[in-house]
Amino acid sequence: MDHAEIEKGYVDLDPIFGPGSVAVIGATDKPGKVGHAIMLNYIDVGFSGRIYPVNLNAGSTIMGYRAYRSVLDIGEDIDLAVIAVPADSVPDVLDECGRAHVRGVVVVSGGFAEVGATELQASIVEVAKRYGMPMIGPNCLGVMDVRARNDTLFLPTFKIDRPKVGGVSFVSQSGSVGSTTLDLISGAGFGLSRFISYGNAATIDETDILRYLMHDVHTQVIVLYVEGVKRGRAFIDVAREVTSMKPVVVLKAGTTQAGAAAARSHTAALAGSDEAYDAVFRQYGFVRANDTDELLDFAKIFDTQPLATGSRVAVITNGGGHGILATDALYHNGLELARLSAKARRRLRGAMPGTVNIALPLDIGGDADAQRFEDALDAVGGEPTVDALIVIVLFQTPGADEKVVESIMNFGARREKPMVVVSVGGSYTRSHAAVMESSGIPVYRSASAAARSIAALVRYARYRERVRAEAEAAAVASKH
Amino acid sequence: MAAWNCRAGQRLGAGDAIAGLVDYKDAEALLSRYGIRTSPSKYVGSAEEAVEFSAGEPIALKVITPRAPHKSRLGLVALGLTGRDITKAFGLVAKRAARYRPYRMLAQRMSKPGIEIILGGNTDPQFGKMVLIGLGGIYVEAFRDFALRVCPISDYDAESMIDQLRSGRIVAHSDRQRAMLSGLIVSVSHMFVESALTELDLNPVILHDDSYDVVDVRLFG
Repeated sequence: MDHAEIEKGYVDLDPIFGPGSVAVIGATDKPGKVGHAIMLNYIDVGFSGRIYPVNLNAGSTIMGYRAYRSVLDIGEDIDLAVIAVPADSVPDVLDECGRAHVRGVVVVSGGFAEVGATELQASIVEVAKRYGMPMIGPNCLGVMDVRARNDTLFLPTFKIDRPKVGGVSFVSQSGSVGSTTLDLISGAGFGLSRFISYGNAATIDETDILRYLMHDVHTQVIVLYVEGVKRGRAFIDVAREVTSMKPVVVLKAGTTQAGAAAARSHTAALAGSDEAYDAVFRQYGFVRANDTDELLDFAKIFDTQPLATGSRVAVITNGGGHGILATDALYHNGLELARLSAKARRRLRGAMPGTVNIALPLDIGGDADAQRFEDALDAVGGEPTVDALIVIVLFQTPGADEKVVESIMNFGARREKPMVVVSVGGSYTRSHAAVMESSGIPVYRSASAAARSIAALVRYARYRERVRAEAEAAAVASKH
Repeated sequence: MAAWNCRAGQRLGAGDAIAGLVDYKDAEALLSRYGIRTSPSKYVGSAEEAVEFSAGEPIALKVITPRAPHKSRLGLVALGLTGRDITKAFGLVAKRAARYRPYRMLAQRMSKPGIEIILGGNTDPQFGKMVLIGLGGIYVEAFRDFALRVCPISDYDAESMIDQLRSGRIVAHSDRQRAMLSGLIVSVSHMFVESALTELDLNPVILHDDSYDVVDVRLFG
């Protein structure tokens, strides 16, 4: 790949995400060093490809693997080189990678533009471009591909959980937000496809990565943490394409940054940087999250639930108060409470005890057991006027146990419209929530988190529907 | 030469290099090419000329100078003038304006009362030209109720900007006003995209009777 392609076109990151062979440059036997942690991770996560530790001062082996003093000495095809050497040495190491025809590099090392060393950064950009070598970083964690068991992160496996395999790919400009969120994703009820921390984005930036993930069959949902994009117009061009295919949940930091103080016009004084980002996100179909909690909440619903454009939500609960909270949350988020047909009301009347008020939100009582949950789910869930369903299961009640969990999972498996569960509570609740999440039913800690997530799903579904209709209309118009 | 000095009749617009604040009448001419009407106005050299322009209707007098961008705060605007008040105000405003020479005095027909909005354009360093609509006049900074989109702005975008405003149902209280307003947003986007302008304020734009008056215009190249 030449320079021009890196500038404007698709960058193939396959060798970086799913390499058959990896050189760890800066590998060492000394615990505590970055190069040691990276080697250890490759061993721990069970990478199935070939591993080549490289260190200028290497003896014959490093951590039990045959060691090399230079990547040029290996004499085999190298797909990925992970570079963790002091910044000053990176240009030479990178040049050797180029000469060895390494297909992609991750520069973990810091000490470049982020500390003002822009010339040093420019020099590694020059080398990467000269060889047409895709380069992630510098100053980054690199990548994790859960399926390929490829993991360049220098975070020891005992300190950070590794997520299970799934459809969410997570792109983070920040290493620390990236690693902490990754740790949370492991317990968040959805699986990960790819993670990438791209640091200073010296050659490959968020726009390149979005374009790559757009074509990645394993990626169903993209989650993006960004502090600022590098190429605004290119980002927009790629964004409209990718959001018409896959949801992109974005968390943008730096939202309170003061606007230009000395603006000539009122407009410029109002339209600061964050306002501009917000406009772009709204206009081109991003799902904007306000914090990492929302980021995970939204990723979870997009990963597990079908898109739906309708905003009528039914609420079933075994606790009245939480039903009211859920109803409030619906309206706060632009959703509405669904209504039951006469037929459904008759059916519920027959199945529920006389104390249950047959209306939404449907409070089936603190003594509700699995059978009552099942009856309620069947009657309400079958309603054509119900677009989405919130099931509130408070496990503190006597009737709510693993049988209820089973009923909900069985119902969820048959359901073709969005459904989420709200369970508020401690360790007993969390263990049941984890079981439901493992079967693809998102569980939220509050009704408002559930309502916000459904609202995000509906907003995005409507965006998709509109751009699809516009594209169809344009196609018809161009034929005539 | 500063753009505000451009002589009337000089063509401004697509591709023209304009620096700084564009002269008021030239700005009006550019807007009218995109079908955006401004309140009738005229540069006047004397109180008599202003009275003649008024023809019995209420007018405003505004000092136009690039040296005083916030003219109402500096007492360089007088509103709702008729008859002898015009002569009095002309003298007063001209006296205040003396320290902002060179300046010109603009007489402008008063708009009917209505809802004030701001329509604007800004060039974002990252995303380029963007258009803004907000509840205007004195409310714009207090409530910060505005919506922003990247150019070019589609009909859908314009409608969604109105919907995004908390004051959306106030500024577009009828279907006709809504259609008029979204058309106006799209026209501003067209003009902004096709010109060499970098920033602009139409502020306030007064909405009344399913129509609008652009009362003040500041275009920057």
